[in-house]
Amino acid sequence: MKKKVLACALLVYGLAAAGSMTIYSEQQSQVNVRDVGRLLPTMVKEVRSVQDSYELQEWMKNTSDTISIAGMQHSQGGQTMYPGAVMLDMKGYNKILHLDRKQKKITVQSGATWRDIQNAVNPYGLSVQVMQSQNIFTVGGSLSVNVHGRDITYGSLIDTVDSFRLLRADGTVINVSRSENSELFPLVIGGYGLFGVILDVSLNLADDELYQLRTAQMDYDEYSDYFNGKVKSKSDVRMHIARLSVAPDTFLKEMYATDYVLYRDQSKREKYCKLREKEDIVLPKMMLGLSRYSDWGKNTLWETQRDYFMKKDGKLQTRNNVMRSDSAFMEYENGNKTELLQEYFVPFDNYAAYVDDLRALLEKEELNLLNISVRYVGHDEDAVLSYAKDDMFALVLLINQGRSKEDIKKTEKVVRKMIDVTLAHDGSYYLPYYQYPSQEQLEEAYPRAQEFFQAKRKYDPEERFQNLFYKRYGK
Amino acid sequence: MNYKTFVTSQSIMMTASSMVFPFYLLLIRNIGDSYAQFGWAYGLFALTAALAHPVVGRLSDRVGDKWLLLLYTWGMAGMMLVVPIIENVGQLYVLQIVMGVLGAVQKTTEKTVFARQNDEAAAGKRVGKYHLWTTIWGAAAVIATGYLIDFLTIGSLFYVASFLYVVSGLVMGYGTISRSRREIIVDEGL
Ligand SMILES: Cc1cc2nc3c(=O)[nH]c(=O)nc-3n(C[C@H](O)[C@H](O)[C@H](O)COP(=O)(O)OP(=O)(O)OC[C@H]3O[C@@H](n4cnc5c(N)ncnc54)[C@H](O)[C@@H]3O)c2cc1C
Repeated sequence: MKKKVLACALLVYGLAAAGSMTIYSEQQSQVNVRDVGRLLPTMVKEVRSVQDSYELQEWMKNTSDTISIAGMQHSQGGQTMYPGAVMLDMKGYNKILHLDRKQKKITVQSGATWRDIQNAVNPYGLSVQVMQSQNIFTVGGSLSVNVHGRDITYGSLIDTVDSFRLLRADGTVINVSRSENSELFPLVIGGYGLFGVILDVSLNLADDELYQLRTAQMDYDEYSDYFNGKVKSKSDVRMHIARLSVAPDTFLKEMYATDYVLYRDQSKREKYCKLREKEDIVLPKMMLGLSRYSDWGKNTLWETQRDYFMKKDGKLQTRNNVMRSDSAFMEYENGNKTELLQEYFVPFDNYAAYVDDLRALLEKEELNLLNISVRYVGHDEDAVLSYAKDDMFALVLLINQGRSKEDIKKTEKVVRKMIDVTLAHDGSYYLPYYQYPSQEQLEEAYPRAQEFFQAKRKYDPEERFQNLFYKRYGK
Repeated sequence: MNYKTFVTSQSIMMTASSMVFPFYLLLIRNIGDSYAQFGWAYGLFALTAALAHPVVGRLSDRVGDKWLLLLYTWGMAGMMLVVPIIENVGQLYVLQIVMGVLGAVQKTTEKTVFARQNDEAAAGKRVGKYHLWTTIWGAAAVIATGYLIDFLTIGSLFYVASFLYVVSGLVMGYGTISRSRREIIVDEGL
């Protein structure tokens, strides 16, 4: 009797163990991936590192897997991921293919970062035309969101793209430019990886230049005038960035700006052209840390930062060096919390009224805002999903929040209200961030959204290229 | 079940539980997405254990410690099969509740086993020796796991632990069969 019970117990146990192990190995065969937002962990079938376009093409011809495409994964709303899909990791596909110094043009593989390009072109006195403030992103990821940065002479990135090759779901490769397959040009740029894999990209370059920094402090309601009179109308001002205070004492009131003015003696450029590498980040990291947790920290950070930047007045810096500002101090490892970005665009003339409304809203709401930077993007509606419907100021908000469902809900509520305020001032918002905005808000900010999604299904009828952004808003 | 069987079985059980404990903590930390959920997962364990203690205590008087210890080892063996495959906080909470009950079973019975002995003079010595061996095995397991983990996946660690619980249960079951609750432990080892 006892033996029988034992045999039974062991049998049941054995079965349970086998079952558990099967499920476990099934689960393990999937890979858990996440983007920098860390709010959307996703189980993908496989992460496939791309190094060679022919190999990728062969694989595409023979597979029916769903595909998502990833660069540095600094997008924050799952734009690079899809459950059960094969995620193409483009980071290893990063060669500089050709640099044409005369035509000022460079061709690179899409996994190359701006940093790779800067290293390649700086020795020849050349520079990128449009990119983010930092150089850590891939060219493919930047094209797919149509980025913008501190430069004020060009529009958004699409302006500076000459052509690219696109690998379609059926494994064919086509050239895309303003003259060849031109319908795809404004769809793929700002297309969030939904039309195919961008292989190599030809970009127009600018001359590297020596700039003199000019700093100014002002109230938010003087900013438009300042920008109009001293920046936009002056052809020798090439780049610009400003900050709007989030410190309780000066909340959404005080600002300071840095303009990058073409220096009168360009022969000095060579003296300054050595690319700066990692800066000392201990202090900024600590101050940002303090500002996460207290009003006192926020006030101190604002004042120190302002004084520090104001003192840079008159300093000289090359274009390439301006375009590689450090973001390492922003890296944030907290297990429970994350730091997310939001970016709102408002037409130039509505800026002061917009900031007033935003302040009124935020004084009522609870949101741990750590930073707001303000840049400028010129009117540019080339891409189907364009955010710059006018000459716009772009406000980037850095938000510290928890990772739990409740925290996400809480931020969602505030973000949607902020976007309502933005839309009320004829503004729009940026798409690479977390999927807080509602479907209606997306369609209001991007009137051509439906056209975009229909084109996606036209060019990719089987919907092989997928991501969580498309899943959330695409249908 | 004699004293030696009891200590051996409990030592194996200790080995298993010490081995997985740090990784189990890590797991509940990772599955929840806030410290609040971590707190709840842990709190539920403690709470169910608390509520289970009196029931288990009474039960042990009725059915005997051995059966409860068997329930514990086999139960834990089963739970260790579940741990590697849970996917969300809900499942984790359920798991913590079951483990809370099982934890109460172990805690109560390890004490009732001693309490049921007539030999009061050597009670302290026996408890001391019991803790010596179980704790040594626990410590050895934790240290060894530190090395083992380089070769095993965290999942397989739980499977090894599950197997050890079964072994602990077998040792317990195959020890001298106790005839009455009164003579559970015959201290022959000392
Ligand atoms: C700290 C920080 C600062 C930022 N600053 C700025 C800024 O100053 N200006 C600005 O405009 N934006 C800024 N952003 C947003 C950023 O530019 C975008 O998130 C950008 O997409 C990041 O590039 P990535 O290489 O990480 O792309 P990923 O996040 O990896 O990918 C973004 C999108 O591109 C697609 N994709 C990637 N590679 C390819 C390819 N080869 N072919 C087809 N599709 C592809 C992906 O599928 C995805 O939809 C910032 C983001 C962060 C986190």
